[in-house]
Amino acid sequence: MRVSRRLLLKGAVAAGAAAVLPERARARERVEPEAGAVGMLYDSTRCVGCGGCAAACKESNGQPWDDPRELSSTTRSVVKTRRLGRPAADGAVTALVKRQCMHCVDPSCVSVCVLGALHKEGRGKRDMGGERRGTGIVLYDKDLCLGCRYCQIACAFAIPRFEWREAFPLISKCELCRHRADPAQEGPRAVANPACAQVCPAGALQYGWRADLLVEARRRQAAEPGRYQERIFGEKEGGGTQVLYLAAAGVSFADLGFPELPEGSYAHASETVSHAPYLNGLAPIGLYAAAAYLVRRNRKEQEGEPSHEEEKP
Amino acid sequence: MTAQARARAIGGPLLDRPMLWLLALFAVAEAVIVFRFIDGIGAVSNMNDGYAWGIWEPVNVVVFTGIGAGAYSVGLLCYLLNRGHYHPLVRPAVLLAAIAYSLGGASIVVALGRPWNMYLLAAPPLWNLSSVLLEVAVCVIAYVCVLWIEMLPAVLDDAARSPERARAAWGQRWGRRLARAMPWIIALAMLLPTMHQSSLGGLMIVAGPKLHPLWHTSLLPLLALVSCLSMGLGAVVVLTALMKHTWSARLDGLLLADMSRVNGLLLVLFAVVRLADIAWSGKLGLLLVPDFHLAFFVLELALFLIPAFLFLSRRVRQNRARIAGALAVVAGCSLWRIDAFLTCYDAGEGWSYWPSAGELAVTVGMAALGVAVFILVSRLLPVVELQEPVVSTSVPAAVAAFVLSGPAEAAQGQEAPRVTAGPGAAATRPAEGAGAPG
Ligand code: SF4
Ligand code: SF4
Ligand code: SF4
Repeated sequence: MRVSRRLLLKGAVAAGAAAVLPERARARERVEPEAGAVGMLYDSTRCVGCGGCAAACKESNGQPWDDPRELSSTTRSVVKTRRLGRPAADGAVTALVKRQCMHCVDPSCVSVCVLGALHKEGRGKRDMGGERRGTGIVLYDKDLCLGCRYCQIACAFAIPRFEWREAFPLISKCELCRHRADPAQEGPRAVANPACAQVCPAGALQYGWRADLLVEARRRQAAEPGRYQERIFGEKEGGGTQVLYLAAAGVSFADLGFPELPEGSYAHASETVSHAPYLNGLAPIGLYAAAAYLVRRNRKEQEGEPSHEEEKP
Repeated sequence: MTAQARARAIGGPLLDRPMLWLLALFAVAEAVIVFRFIDGIGAVSNMNDGYAWGIWEPVNVVVFTGIGAGAYSVGLLCYLLNRGHYHPLVRPAVLLAAIAYSLGGASIVVALGRPWNMYLLAAPPLWNLSSVLLEVAVCVIAYVCVLWIEMLPAVLDDAARSPERARAAWGQRWGRRLARAMPWIIALAMLLPTMHQSSLGGLMIVAGPKLHPLWHTSLLPLLALVSCLSMGLGAVVVLTALMKHTWSARLDGLLLADMSRVNGLLLVLFAVVRLADIAWSGKLGLLLVPDFHLAFFVLELALFLIPAFLFLSRRVRQNRARIAGALAVVAGCSLWRIDAFLTCYDAGEGWSYWPSAGELAVTVGMAALGVAVFILVSRLLPVVELQEPVVSTSVPAAVAAFVLSGPAEAAQGQEAPRVTAGPGAAATRPAEGAGAPG
């Protein structure tokens, strides 16, 4: 007997429905910045490229200074000089940019991490000790990490680094110097205390509540018209980030090495597509029940067919 | 039932020369793996922070499990769509799947940086349900168990036919018990691949801007699911042809034609969905950009559509063409998977990747081990249905010989390149493109 088109069609529809349904099912909630979100504001126009932040970063994380050019498993922050595609408004042909983890509002790395090793402070699968909810800092819990490196594939900013030459490797990225927090203080410094922001001599790096930093960024743009380009990178990009960037007029963020991102986060897109077909677990149960019913019925039928002997699997 | 009733252990020497070659290949892989656990993944691979998965994830996991999807597609036809005449193919397909998935799983363990934390997967409260990889991991582990349980009837069958009375009685008793439980297990074997094969495609959605738009789509899960059905059917056709050549296994021409027709429709479905999606999301312009992405895209499409034409055309009646087509399908689906995970994945400026000898050795060694285990199990247990009368038990594992004899010779035997077309060719292919984007 041949497989009829109708049967095939049924099979294809059943299989396809599982993956197509996402358009229908309700999307996973969009993640908004948390009320107590902390972050940093980096002003590329004020940065003098002294590298003090990178040195302070190494020191605060107990890593030896090696004049880094790129992030690595021993470098969580780096200042780069970028050659511009076309000269900036003031004629400059290069621009400075400090790179580090963006502490995304809805981070891909957190979305993909198998057991939640990378997690937003206070929202992980377990508490690493003294975690506060609502700061939005993306922390790393090595005891839950499988070393799968999906975070590296997922992060649009290519931030997480892996210890390739270690038998017991770790993922490494900026954790906003949460370990330097001073609980005795009021305000954001009770949550975290970035060493890099503390040492910056040019006022290019500022730590604080994300909401305040956004206000400050807009204030600077308004105070000196023509100095900045109008976008504040991280306000909306990829669902928003907690580390925000200002760039000089005429300097594009692509020139500074940032990816072009839509407003929504990829974590949101991915989870919506992957979750929806499951219909909160109903789909697998239904599919299983249907499969079990069909298998039982068909096997009986097949055993009963005269051309087939008694089944003895 | 007829199929299993006529399936026989092939017998023959367990440690002949091809087997030794296969084991030697695996030994090389094993040496690399030992080194990797002492000195880190970076010591044996060219993986880097940009191309963090190298070829192990795209080939050893995504392609191997695609080849293993034969048990899923044949099972769907046989049990869900009630095509009982597919029975003779079920056992070889399940064995192939059990091996391919186990090797995929083993490769994950090798590729994981901190595999000792895997025991935590047993604690559902720790699961990050947002993670597509979690779904894949849990589902694949469960499916590997299901597949080996599906192989148990072969063991019990073997026991039931034993001349020893006690062993025979034991085999019969447990055979009957297992037969009663089987529908529930088979139903799981239908559900789990639906979940993890689509999730495998879904893995790359989050990579967003890093994946070339011709591959990045929210339909990745659907495409992965359809392609695994095609790939699985293709792999089973190639396997059957291989077994006919080496062991005089039965090859039912009608069945082959039937299966090929199904596959033809699946291939067309894949191509239509993919092209429609590209048109729908306004990416048609990308088809005018002549770069290596487009070359791979066209190659993929050719490897999907040419076999589809072969399979659906009434004029192509020879099984030879169908087998060649099946090979093309396995190659095409592998290529699509590798492209989506590696070749057309761009880590960003400053990154480049080309697999190291050590990485390739592990991939090849794992594939060799798979072939070796398949031969071994087929020799010992009733898996393969033979032509009556049994012609060949002495023909050595020509499968292995083909693998070892390189592409030139392999090309002479229509069916031989199954293994090369899967992991072997796949292993070299990502490299061609992966260097370029970086
Ligand atoms: S916050 Fe701390 S870890 Fe992060 S870049 Fe600044 S100094 Fe480095
Ligand atoms: S920048 Fe990358 S590593 Fe940092 S929070 Fe965002 S996704 Fe995670
Ligand atoms: S490597 Fe570790 S931190 Fe990164 S996704 Fe995997 S488990 Fe999470």
